[in-house]
Amino acid sequence: MERHARAVSAAASSTESVSAQKIAGYGVATVAAVLVLYPVFYLLQAALDVGDPQTRPPTAYGLDNFEALLNYPQIMLNTLSVSFAATLMALVIGFIMAWILTRTNVPGRLVFEQLMAVPYYLTPLLGALAWSMLGSPESGFLNQFWRALGGSGHVIDINTPYGIAWVMALFEGSVAFVMIGAVMKSMDPALEEASQVIGASRLRTMLRVTLPLVIPGVLGAAIFVFAEMLGSFAVALVLGTPNRYYVITTAIYQLIQQYPPRIQVAAAMGTSLFAVMFVMLFIYRRIVTAGSYVTITGKAFRPRVADVGRLRHLLFCVCVLYLVVSVVLPIATLLYASVQKIAVAFPAADNFTLDNFRAAMSMNAAGSALTNSLILAFATATIGIALMGLLAWLIYRSRLPGAGLIEYVVMFPQAVPRLVFAFGMMWAWLAFPIPIYGTLWLLLIAYLTVFLPLGVRTIAGVMLQVDKSLDECAQMCGASWMFRMRTISIPLLVPGLVAAWLLLFIASVRELGASILLMGPHSKVITPSIVESWFGTASELTATLALIQTFVVAAAVAVLVVVTRRVSTHVVN
Amino acid sequence: MAPKPHIEVENLEVSFGAVPAVRGVSFTVTHGEQLTLLGPSGCGKTTTLRAIAGLEKPVAGEIRIDGAPIYSAARNINVPAEKRGLSMVFQSYAIWPHMSVFDNVAYGLRVRREEAAAIRNKVIQALALVQMQAFADRRASQLSGGQQQRVALARAFVFQPSVLLFDEPLSNLDAKLRADMRIELRDLQHRLGITSIYVTHDLEEALAMSDHIVVMRDGLVEQTGTPDDIYRLPRSAFVADFIGSANLVHGRNRRDLATHGLLALETPGGQVIYGNAYGRSAGDELTVSVRTVHLQISPQRPAGERNVWPARVEKTVFQGDFTQVHILWGDQRLIARCAALDPLPAGQEVFISVDPKRVVLLGA
Repeated sequence: MERHARAVSAAASSTESVSAQKIAGYGVATVAAVLVLYPVFYLLQAALDVGDPQTRPPTAYGLDNFEALLNYPQIMLNTLSVSFAATLMALVIGFIMAWILTRTNVPGRLVFEQLMAVPYYLTPLLGALAWSMLGSPESGFLNQFWRALGGSGHVIDINTPYGIAWVMALFEGSVAFVMIGAVMKSMDPALEEASQVIGASRLRTMLRVTLPLVIPGVLGAAIFVFAEMLGSFAVALVLGTPNRYYVITTAIYQLIQQYPPRIQVAAAMGTSLFAVMFVMLFIYRRIVTAGSYVTITGKAFRPRVADVGRLRHLLFCVCVLYLVVSVVLPIATLLYASVQKIAVAFPAADNFTLDNFRAAMSMNAAGSALTNSLILAFATATIGIALMGLLAWLIYRSRLPGAGLIEYVVMFPQAVPRLVFAFGMMWAWLAFPIPIYGTLWLLLIAYLTVFLPLGVRTIAGVMLQVDKSLDECAQMCGASWMFRMRTISIPLLVPGLVAAWLLLFIASVRELGASILLMGPHSKVITPSIVESWFGTASELTATLALIQTFVVAAAVAVLVVVTRRVSTHVVN
Repeated sequence: MAPKPHIEVENLEVSFGAVPAVRGVSFTVTHGEQLTLLGPSGCGKTTTLRAIAGLEKPVAGEIRIDGAPIYSAARNINVPAEKRGLSMVFQSYAIWPHMSVFDNVAYGLRVRREEAAAIRNKVIQALALVQMQAFADRRASQLSGGQQQRVALARAFVFQPSVLLFDEPLSNLDAKLRADMRIELRDLQHRLGITSIYVTHDLEEALAMSDHIVVMRDGLVEQTGTPDDIYRLPRSAFVADFIGSANLVHGRNRRDLATHGLLALETPGGQVIYGNAYGRSAGDELTVSVRTVHLQISPQRPAGERNVWPARVEKTVFQGDFTQVHILWGDQRLIARCAALDPLPAGQEVFISVDPKRVVLLGA
């Protein structure tokens, strides 16, 4: 009888707790939708605005802005050729490194695999600055060496399309490596062994079995990387603009920054770019999720490692070479430049100085930019994991209706280059009644928006690792939603959430594309300040600033590594 | 007097999107009874269990505990899982890796805000019942599969739930341990006198552990009964074959040959086989089931007139405890499982026979 009464009274309160979940869920979903869709709306509005550029809202709509894009054929051509060359190089780097590190017995395989993440953390901007110091035709260190050795002119010129593509490829190569490496790892070695047992030679097996199995994965990586290249900004900005060589992102930036700005054309350019990227990422997702090829079974195999004999010493050198050109050389260059009065290739005692560090730390602008960046990164990461954690739960665990749609909205910023997104945001929040334009608040909103895909994906990855029955079991023990959150879900998720926090922190500190448009004179942040310093002051000081930023990121990465180590030893069911 | 039902499931339907998983399932469980939902994977047995638990929301039907609905489509009642007062042992054990064994077991008691001293006593008692008291301070990740299983069990019954639900709890254990745990679980259930619903696809487990079995297929109930009923009198070809192994014989109903309360079936090959209808109605076309263990093989003609036929051995397969003999019987192939048999060469002429009691008419 007593139980009877309890069940009946429970029935009444059940509607309450379900609706509390619903309100929380849809509330967060609405916030995310506004963050993402409000700027996109303004971007489209500006792109279709053919009225007087000085008045808002627009007085007339049309497609004239898109027609005007035909006046910039050179920019389109530049974008395509740089992206194509860079994608090709990145894929070659990624494929070779993936093959060496997953399929051969090269010495130090596991260490190299860890180190492959380092170029990704260094950022293309740092690479571009360093390679500019190394390879600009006059003052580049490598060219100075070349002339000292008796050569004339220059041996490399980084300020060319190939130079831009080279630097882009160096850093995107580690992304391609991760993607292709995953495909190679998920391939069942039995498929190859079956071919060899039947009597096929190693070469034949490679051509007829391995390659066809890996190709869809490589194709997916190619599309993804190409889309990233189309939207990349920092390298072309540092290496291309001095020679007035523009790609689409730098052209958009130029159109907005010049006087008078050509907002509408920039908006049309941004819209077109994001339309193309959207289609490419859609195709990428189709390739990945189609899963029609057997390699992706969701199961990680222990790949068969081929004994490559003495070739392994050569392959070892290849791995070292990649890390030297992408990590060691750039960092060494910046370090070297930062302790010189005038950056030259050959050291001299009277050229040594620590003034740059002193200047960087005492420089008001740079100092406050670094402080601002740290505050922002802290706030973004903290608010971010709450917001993105709820969103991840909403999308992957809540089973509330409409979760699929929310996933699309949340992943949307992935398809929009940050510069373009920030442009929509600038336009959107200028029209907003509360004056947050030019403050850190706007940057905070921007970061929370553009990092939605990163944060939600990271947290969802951890969330999906934790078996659903762990929560269900607590439910069967009679625990309410709040109690389960406190005792089961959050404790299990904490290591993952800490990792997500650090990733968001790192991403915020290095953010360039959105910040460069949205920061105001009193809300400077570090990465755009480095760019400003590069174009405005001396390269030695810039190198110092870049090093300081790298140091902050490196510290965060170090914590991240320690935390993720702990996660992996902490066995989650 | 009929025992009072503890759990009643009525016309339960569960769908995943447009895909129906359970399509109208009804059964009742009396107090202290162990009921097993048995069926192949994808038959909807786990979904039914999860719907009772409150982890899946049905689309139609009603579930009552002690007469009070905990789910009712008609009356729009859906008590959340945590308020149904049930407990469950999960297939994956779901041992929380961030807690010690003690904390895992104490969880349900802490949810119920019991005194620390009472919690301590009950947890130690529960762990003693599953012979895990020595492991109270261990971390979950330091336990073997069988040990995790015991902890999951202790955690499930420690707070004295009215009903225990088991979702294939033994399927992740190796065969030997599974057989031991089967007996232990049965003993424990008797000792606690707790009503339980048990889901499995393992026939032996179901036969050994249950008071009643509900055989499910494609989201529907195929047959309900005691283990003995279900084994002896399968109602359909599916049950006959799923519960053990059986030979199915089709043919015409020869009412003119029926004697002694037996029915007679004539195969297309002209063989006549006598069987028992067990009160089931027989039409013109019949299907009977003969368990492979009930088919006798002898080199000489055995005594008796009915259900004895000459046949030929096609091949034999040695399987340890028994030998499986494939027999050519007219134009039909039959399988017999015989214990301890002298070798039968392929092609040998033998006699097969079966007691008419063991020839069971299947329902239409």
